Amino acid sequence: MRFISMCCVAAVISLCTVDAEAQRMQQKEKQFLKESPLIGEPLPDVTVYSLDGEPFTTANLRGHYTVLTFGCLT
Amino acid sequence: MEAVYRDYGPKNVKFYFIYKTLAHPELAGNYVQPFTLAERLTHARQAEKQLGATIPWIVDAIDNRLKHALGDRPNSEFIINPEGIIVRKRAWSHPAQVRRDLEELIGPVDHMTREEDVHLRLELPVRVPAPRGALPRLSRPEMQPIVMEPEIELDGPPFFAKLRAEADADLMEHGTGQLYLGFHLDPFHNGHWNNLTPPLSFTLDAGDAVKLDTTTGTAPKVAAVSDSDPREFLLNVSSWPVEEPIRLTVTYFACVGEESCHTLKQEYVLFRKHDPDGGGARGEGAGYWDPKDFAKRMLAGDSDKDGRIVKSEAAGILLPHFDKLDANNDGFLDLKEMEVISDWLNSYHQPAPPSQR
Repeated sequence: MRFISMCCVAAVISLCTVDAEAQRMQQKEKQFLKESPLIGEPLPDVTVYSLDGEPFTTANLRGHYTVLTFGCLT
Repeated sequence: MEAVYRDYGPKNVKFYFIYKTLAHPELAGNYVQPFTLAERLTHARQAEKQLGATIPWIVDAIDNRLKHALGDRPNSEFIINPEGIIVRKRAWSHPAQVRRDLEELIGPVDHMTREEDVHLRLELPVRVPAPRGALPRLSRPEMQPIVMEPEIELDGPPFFAKLRAEADADLMEHGTGQLYLGFHLDPFHNGHWNNLTPPLSFTLDAGDAVKLDTTTGTAPKVAAVSDSDPREFLLNVSSWPVEEPIRLTVTYFACVGEESCHTLKQEYVLFRKHDPDGGGARGEGAGYWDPKDFAKRMLAGDSDKDGRIVKSEAAGILLPHFDKLDANNDGFLDLKEMEVISDWLNSYHQPAPPSQR
């Protein structure tokens, strides 16, 4: 299930794509691949937070595969 | 994604959801952009509950540094290898593709968890404490959020009502156009408008070069004793040089429960500058589903075109609730059930109904 659709009802619509919408999404994906950071580059070193408010450093994501997905309440 | 996590978590793949700035303030529970890290952490904990997934969350800083560092998309996704190198990226999360990626990178799993086997324990959005729909929403043209900085006092009271400031294209480009100021109650602070107290008012203060049709505003008197609708204003600006900030002071009463009202005077500084992290607010009617429109949209996911949706065709918010929504337990969601679902979604997300309806 697409994550955004869980947190955003509006995005449910985006799942009901027609061909034109699918093409538009493909274009967006192509564009995104050209933008920094590129595949093959290191994950930027940024300190954010755990859910408890403790610092969480992306540089520590080493030694295993990691899947990162952005999302929000809307 | 939870299904993929359950299969690949035991294979030492770490999964994180990153909580970021709201993509669409006002939607799906009337949430508004948080001003502080503590508020964003509260959002993220709520997101964890609403999604019901066991994947851990990390939370972007209030300056949105991780979003900026990773390409500024609302729902992007990255796979990082053990050396810390990005090996996959996409603009929109696609769990089925993540599974295929991990199959390539690590190998397939013996027994694949299916989405319908995950049984997420979803919780409902935070409810606003007073009704919406007492004050009609303001119709506004297409606008974009502008940068505004709330003046946050350490240990001061929270911003029960939070400003959303938007400019139309002319104002943005030429400094002459319309400025939207909307004060939206933050549902996490549980405040409502007590309409027996004086209505919200604001003043604007700027250099002589800034020309506005008014520098003060007072929200209309509302007949209902209490409500949760935003207090909105649309101003005409005939000159706003880009280098001139505007200072805004807002005065209001925010009430929690029946007795406890706070008199608040809070300040902001507004800039004629697009806020790339402001998200897209849809204004009037945001989050409201017309039953017929909703049914039509949902049936677009009806891949076998039989006029109804089976569980394997259901997506998003429908899937975890499928059995409950299938009122007659026939294993399908049909047109009639879809219309009932739109009512359920409207009560679930508490949008104010559009005024023209």
